[in-house]
Amino acid sequence: MGHTFTIGIGGAAGQGVATPGDIFAKIFSRRGLHLNAYNAYQSIIRGGHTFLTIRTGADPVTNMGDRIDLLIPLNQDTMDRHLGLLGEGGACLYNADTIQPGTHAEGVQLCALPVSTLADISRNKVAQNTIAIGAAISMMGIGFQSLEDVIREQFGRKAAAVADENVAVARAGYDYATQNFRPFARPLPMSDNRYAVLSGNTALAMGGAAAGVKFYCAYPMSPSTGVLHWMATHAREAGIMVRQVEDELGVVNMAIGAAQAGVRAMCATSGGGFALMSEALGLSAMAEIPIVVIDCQRAGPSTGVPTKTEQGDLWQMLGAAFGDYPRVIAAPLDIADCFTLLAEMWNLVDKFQVPGLVLADLLLSEGRLSVDPKVLDFAPHVDRGEMITSPNGGPGEGGYKRYKITESGVSPRAIPGVPGYTHVVASDEHDEDGVLISDMFTNTHKRRAMMEKRMRKENGIAAAVAPPKLQGPADADVTLIGWGSTQGVIEEARALLAEEGITANQLQVRWIVPLHGEAIVEQLKNAKRTIIVENNYSGQFARYLRSETSFVADGHIRKYDGEPFMPHHIVEAVREQLAGGVTLSVPVHEIMV
Amino acid sequence: MATSSAPTPKVNRLGLQVLDYRGGKTTLCAGCGHNAISERIIDAMYEMGVQPERVMKLSGIGCSSKSPAYFLSRSHSFNSVHGRMPSVATGALLANKNMLGLGVSGDGDTASIGIGQFVHLMRRNLPLIYIIEDNGVYGLTKGQFSATADIGSKLKSGVINDLPPIDTCSLAIELGATFVGRSFSGDKKQLLTMLKAAISHNGTVMLDVISPCVTFNDHEGSTKSYKYMQEHEEAISEAGFVPSFEDISIDYDPGTTYDVEMHDGSHLRLRKLHDDYDPTDRVAAVKALMEAHANGEVLTGVFYIDPHKPAFTDMLNMVDDPLATLSEERTRPSKKVLDEIMAEHS
Ligand SMILES: Cc1ncc(C[n+]2csc(CCOP(=O)(O)OP(=O)(O)O)c2C)c(N)n1
Ligand code: SF4
Ligand SMILES: [Mg+2]
Repeated sequence: MGHTFTIGIGGAAGQGVATPGDIFAKIFSRRGLHLNAYNAYQSIIRGGHTFLTIRTGADPVTNMGDRIDLLIPLNQDTMDRHLGLLGEGGACLYNADTIQPGTHAEGVQLCALPVSTLADISRNKVAQNTIAIGAAISMMGIGFQSLEDVIREQFGRKAAAVADENVAVARAGYDYATQNFRPFARPLPMSDNRYAVLSGNTALAMGGAAAGVKFYCAYPMSPSTGVLHWMATHAREAGIMVRQVEDELGVVNMAIGAAQAGVRAMCATSGGGFALMSEALGLSAMAEIPIVVIDCQRAGPSTGVPTKTEQGDLWQMLGAAFGDYPRVIAAPLDIADCFTLLAEMWNLVDKFQVPGLVLADLLLSEGRLSVDPKVLDFAPHVDRGEMITSPNGGPGEGGYKRYKITESGVSPRAIPGVPGYTHVVASDEHDEDGVLISDMFTNTHKRRAMMEKRMRKENGIAAAVAPPKLQGPADADVTLIGWGSTQGVIEEARALLAEEGITANQLQVRWIVPLHGEAIVEQLKNAKRTIIVENNYSGQFARYLRSETSFVADGHIRKYDGEPFMPHHIVEAVREQLAGGVTLSVPVHEIMV
Repeated sequence: MATSSAPTPKVNRLGLQVLDYRGGKTTLCAGCGHNAISERIIDAMYEMGVQPERVMKLSGIGCSSKSPAYFLSRSHSFNSVHGRMPSVATGALLANKNMLGLGVSGDGDTASIGIGQFVHLMRRNLPLIYIIEDNGVYGLTKGQFSATADIGSKLKSGVINDLPPIDTCSLAIELGATFVGRSFSGDKKQLLTMLKAAISHNGTVMLDVISPCVTFNDHEGSTKSYKYMQEHEEAISEAGFVPSFEDISIDYDPGTTYDVEMHDGSHLRLRKLHDDYDPTDRVAAVKALMEAHANGEVLTGVFYIDPHKPAFTDMLNMVDDPLATLSEERTRPSKKVLDEIMAEHS
């Protein structure tokens, strides 16, 4: 990654941290810059502490990085917590009327804004924020017009007078900074590229819409709620039936009901809701009704830490529902992948008539990323598998068998209401016609045949999904293994290690089931030193990989404090482990958020 | 040569015979109330001339929930999991609103494990006929009390129920179901009439049908036995039904009989057997239920009906065609819509 620039904005919830964040995001993306934004916050509507990090640059920005260049504390608390993050060349813009700076590193520019003399604070409650934005834009070397455009857009034409006032306030901050503060050494670059800025939740929802999801239902649970919001906002125009349901039992069963009627039906939740959905995943598998369930992981167990991230639901997902059944589990690698994965997932689950589980996390769901619109294919290939939606001459000799035993394990699926193809769908074990064999007529031969029929689908699923590939030099000093959302931060850590003369490659796992264990072991067999990086306490992926392949990594880097990895966490842990003696590193998250 | 022609079988308005509405051979106990209900469903569907392929049978788990296998073989059927049929049915009917939903549940499936789903279903007024085959016990797991068992009723083993029952009819009325009644599997005429009216209704029909479990709850001390019902059933009204396609005008006395014009033009005629009976008054209906219960009577009949309230599927601004059968081009947002959405994100 080339040069990047990072802004940190912090304050209490309710102080308006989001708005400056949105304004900066818009300005960066319109300059043709990439960006990555992450908001650290608490489960509280007012108060608490919110800290938004926006990092931008000409190259793709895959994570929040290690450094802050510009700090905008909206209250004293933020100043006290974060001033120490600034290094040489950094700057802090603050309201001199209400906030006192503390001790700071050498070479940090403290930029006191006389807010009450620059604006009428009795009229404009967010004047300090707007002045700070204006000043920041000036110091970054951006023309004022870009900011004015965004402010006017934000207020819309109806509120022209309010917009004028805010533009004037921003202008005052801009001019004051131009006259009084030193601009940043490197003005922000510009390019002709244009990117869309998406949260993972938006990407998941849009990915579903593009894949033809016609039914979405949910019960709100952070951090998955954004998917519901997008769906509810766009239901009409996108032609999607969206329902908020009483609980997750209702949610998943409603999705199954809709799916068996013939639509692509999807739902999203977090760990607690997913626990309630377990039961129904068995139904989806047994009745061979494809659905997609998204789990946006948050720190657990139980209610856990609603606003903090973790990769702690892997074993819950692997163990969800009782009995053996085929399914697909995938963990998107970044926010753009939240979009692309869904079309792939849908084609797989429709083809094999199994539940498909997406293991996202708060970092992806609520983070924001600039995405090249070219990646966002709104007409992806749709393969609904063998579906019968009209009588077309009828089923022929012997009638229709919904659960016909086939080589692939897949039986053509008729939707309800097609004459000649009516059938029984059951959660009980059944024979090829759907007739129950579970209670009184249990027939061991039939039971075995049906079990094997369903499980045979695993072969087809495995063949349809490619194994992960080693990224980076084959003979690297160290091989970092990650899964899902850690792709970007591990990638940057590798680049930083390379600067120190340590070469690292990376195996990032996206398809959890099917895993392709043999292919993974084959790629790891010549690795000099393997380290598994994951955002949980017990090394859930390490245990899974070992259980599937007997592969035991040399070391582990784990973090379970609720915050995502920063590149230096991984760099320092690798350094520590290469020095010898240490095989488990648990990086300390220095910033209290 | 003389030919003897077999008598032409009786057919309904679709030209279908009763046979076309039958199901598989029952595996329930002989004498189980659930079997009688299956028979009445067959009769009602036949007499109303419902196309069997248009029916979607839905159930949970239990002896009662198995019974859809024993009627309407030509209809689609979904045996879901214990207590979850209400949401499965909601999803299914939202995805295909052209189907006629027929849900069959038990008192355990509904009032115990499924009560959460049940109450939310009642709020929706989804066009669905929801039948509880109510025997006061979990038949399939060998006769433990369910949440509709009366306080003080006794199991064969002597165990006495120490909790009051949930009255699913009062709940349904309070929560928004638009056709609520109770019947008895042994009351052929009343049950058949109520089922035919149910087929004509557009909205949630909730029928609690007392259906004795001959194996586990038909003894002295049970309040869900045949004997108890014969002695304590008290009808709130006498129901008659005139389907829309039978253009017969039967005289009735408006002073003693309520005439309810159903959604499809059929008429449900309810002759008062109780003072103050008004099937459009929810408060009166719940009061009558509570009073009957206090007097040790099992009130049956149509308690409440509102044929005018729009059904869930009519309120959601859905396209005319069922979502389930839309063509692929129509199942994805148009390019224009997606471009607009993208513009918001840049
Ligand atoms: C989650 C779950 N818990 C328990 C059971 C066992 N079980 C099956 S049917 C049933 C009760 C059925 O009672 P009811 O709905 O009244 O039906 P009936 O057999 O009386 O007609 C129970 C407890 C189950 N299948 N699933
Ligand atoms: S156990 Fe009871 S409910 Fe079940 S079939 Fe027998 S009589 Fe009916
Ligand atoms: Mg029962």
